Amino acid sequence: MMQPIISFQQYSFKYKNQSEPTLKDITLDIYPGEKIWIAGPSGSGKSTLAHCINGLIPFTYGGDIRGRLSIAGRNPAELSIFELSRTVGTILQDQDSQFVGLSVAEDVAFVMENKAMPREQMKRETSASLERVGMLDYIDHSPYELSGGQKQSVSLAGVLSTDAEVLLFDEPLANLDPAGGRKAMQLIDDIHRQGGKTVIIIEHRVEDVLQQPIDRIVLMKDGGIEAVGTPDEILASGLLRGCGLRPPLYVDALRYAGVSLDGVQGLSRPQPLGIPGLGERLDGWSEQAAAGAPSQPAEPLLDVRGLTFGYEPGQPVLKDVSLLVGAGEIVALLGNNGAGKSTLSQLITGILKPQSGSMRYAGQDMASWSIRRRGEAIGYVMQNPNRMITQHMIADEVGLGLKVRGVPAAEIKERVAGVLQTCGLYPFRNWPVSALSYGQKKRLSIAAILVLAPKLMILDEPTAGQDYRHYQEFMDFIEQLAGQGIAFLLITHDMYLALEYARRAVVLSGGEVLAADTVASVLSRPEVTEPAHLKETSLSLFAKANDLASPERFVQAFINAEKKGKKGHE
Amino acid sequence: MNRTGSLYVTGNSLFHRLDGAVKLVLFMAWTVMTYMFLDLRVFVLMLVVGIALLVTAGIPFKKMAFLFWLMIIFTVLNGIFILLITPTFGTRLTGTDTPLIQLGYNTINAETLFYVLTLSAKYLTLLPITILCIFTTQPSAFAGSLNRIGVPYKIAYAVSIALRYIPDLTEEFRSTLNSMQARGMGITKEDGSIAQRLRNLAAVVVPVLQSALHRIDSVTNAMELRGFGTQKKRTWYSGKEMEGLDWTLAVLGVLLLAVGIWLKVQVLKGFWYPF
Repeated sequence: MMQPIISFQQYSFKYKNQSEPTLKDITLDIYPGEKIWIAGPSGSGKSTLAHCINGLIPFTYGGDIRGRLSIAGRNPAELSIFELSRTVGTILQDQDSQFVGLSVAEDVAFVMENKAMPREQMKRETSASLERVGMLDYIDHSPYELSGGQKQSVSLAGVLSTDAEVLLFDEPLANLDPAGGRKAMQLIDDIHRQGGKTVIIIEHRVEDVLQQPIDRIVLMKDGGIEAVGTPDEILASGLLRGCGLRPPLYVDALRYAGVSLDGVQGLSRPQPLGIPGLGERLDGWSEQAAAGAPSQPAEPLLDVRGLTFGYEPGQPVLKDVSLLVGAGEIVALLGNNGAGKSTLSQLITGILKPQSGSMRYAGQDMASWSIRRRGEAIGYVMQNPNRMITQHMIADEVGLGLKVRGVPAAEIKERVAGVLQTCGLYPFRNWPVSALSYGQKKRLSIAAILVLAPKLMILDEPTAGQDYRHYQEFMDFIEQLAGQGIAFLLITHDMYLALEYARRAVVLSGGEVLAADTVASVLSRPEVTEPAHLKETSLSLFAKANDLASPERFVQAFINAEKKGKKGHE
Repeated sequence: MNRTGSLYVTGNSLFHRLDGAVKLVLFMAWTVMTYMFLDLRVFVLMLVVGIALLVTAGIPFKKMAFLFWLMIIFTVLNGIFILLITPTFGTRLTGTDTPLIQLGYNTINAETLFYVLTLSAKYLTLLPITILCIFTTQPSAFAGSLNRIGVPYKIAYAVSIALRYIPDLTEEFRSTLNSMQARGMGITKEDGSIAQRLRNLAAVVVPVLQSALHRIDSVTNAMELRGFGTQKKRTWYSGKEMEGLDWTLAVLGVLLLAVGIWLKVQVLKGFWYPF
């Protein structure tokens, strides 16, 4: 029998400053050449498990260890973090922190530099590693000239140069757009096949990981292992949702349509399932479920017309962009990095001035409005709440915008209390900000804008870095606010977000509007999704693979069923 | 400034090929020379050599225009203020007084005018060499050469890592400031008094600093996982070995400095005033 390369035996770990162990009684053997996916929500212990494998535990983060762990037959605690890195190469989630070199070549060479390798040999090996990940052409580029996915490939090249047997990917998809994510999974798979490496992927994005074959899924929950199995076994078991993970959309659609999944093979990707009569059954279901009153067009709140902007003459970043957001409507602004999404939001908030075009807010021309005045009508919320919070106490943070506007103290108190109640933060009003969780801080950053009573809020990547459960909680909260008449423009490349919560989507690519339509229609059209680095939704791919009559209708049926399901839970 | 945060301009001049540490030695020797003397002849000679080197380096003027004008304006203003505030200062150095321009409250004399001319030349001699060092040195190669002249590699690498992340930080700062501006806490005129605007600026520092600390944490992890700091020695991908040229110029720099010190002590002791 083959020896496992990584073996946890009744292993538990408790961080020094915590009272409860983060990992509880883990027993897991990983064999050489396997491709393992460790899945689970945040707080499930999957990152801690990764720290145990790459040596950050116990060398950087101390704590109590119980049980046994062996890596390549040795106890990591007896090695050093550097010795361990010869066996386990880690690719971190944050590509910017991982990329420490001033150029691609220097970043790849970083490990070799630290090993004091002679320069000539280092140059040869750097080129060879870059060749393996297809990045040799970029050898002299600086990190600022690379996309997130390219930075990740460079990190991978750096790890490959060490000849580590195990490659550990910590949330490799977290900061990538859908197309970048697909490429990353493809590259990981190529390296796995060609190099015979053991690959361990830590992720919570189910559909994206399953684009390439996986040997075993390790499902984690509350610090323990919930289940281990092949993708088919795990998907059919229905355990994903209970572990705070989002099953592939078509698997959910099959459930909504009442199709039994027991023993069904090939669920891990949108492909023909070979269930007799499946097509007719799903067509019947979508016809019924997709029907519904067409939504009433809302009264226009923000009306952007023919906006053109460029930093340098003759090089427009945005070309003739028009966009409509109705009162109380949720609109998704989709597009790849560099498509002009953030430029557009800076134009709307007044930080940049357009060269031509007009913007109207509730019928009024905004051209002469100052940034401050716009800020009272249109709130802008950054992706990372930590970057917006400046005060120590929660109530102070929310009241700050009113205070600088000279609102009397009594009124501030009243309005802050009202907003905190709306945002579910009222019980914490006298707490310091630092006591809040990430999700609560996210709500706080919304509250601090909401207090200015805007009618429209621009949310930049509102769900980035959150697992499915927190994502859902947060977006349900946003939906509730929308129900109270506040419109939202979601800037995102997360397609699920658009699909589940937005009524309409505007797709931006190369500074131009490619499409503006219902989300179901936009995301079923490859001619729109591809140039925008989005992916055609798995629902539409599944519908096409199984010869359904109308992919778009199938997508719409799913959206309706989701909404109904949510109402059912409440 | 390009997005890498460095001002390096590619090229193949003498200064481009020179090792970063040697450039540092030359720069220091040059600076010491400048501060030692108060003699226009020395400065004119240094200026001629400096400008000749600068021209051969082939740095486009557009790139260095900002630094160039900054130094010129500083020097001119400095000269004007000296003339206006202490119009007879030159007398203290020469012991003579030759009135030249009537100011009403006082008279600028020829000695002071010549002193200001000398002082301006003194400051300007630093201009070409500073521009040369900044624009022809690749930051990462510089870290390597610092390490070679005896600076511990962990300190030398700090130069490189700072250059890597400063642009990230400025970008973060800018976007945080933008979002604050929309809340009415910006730093423009409409955001209130100077005091209020300064307070707003200070408030932005909090989240940016916090995120910088967080960043340091993850960068440290990334570096540790890749073996930084575990070995006594480290090699550098960028840069090259010291060559004959580097040694020659380093020795030359030190020799010139020695000659300079001898000159100062023996020949050109004080302020040179030919009239």
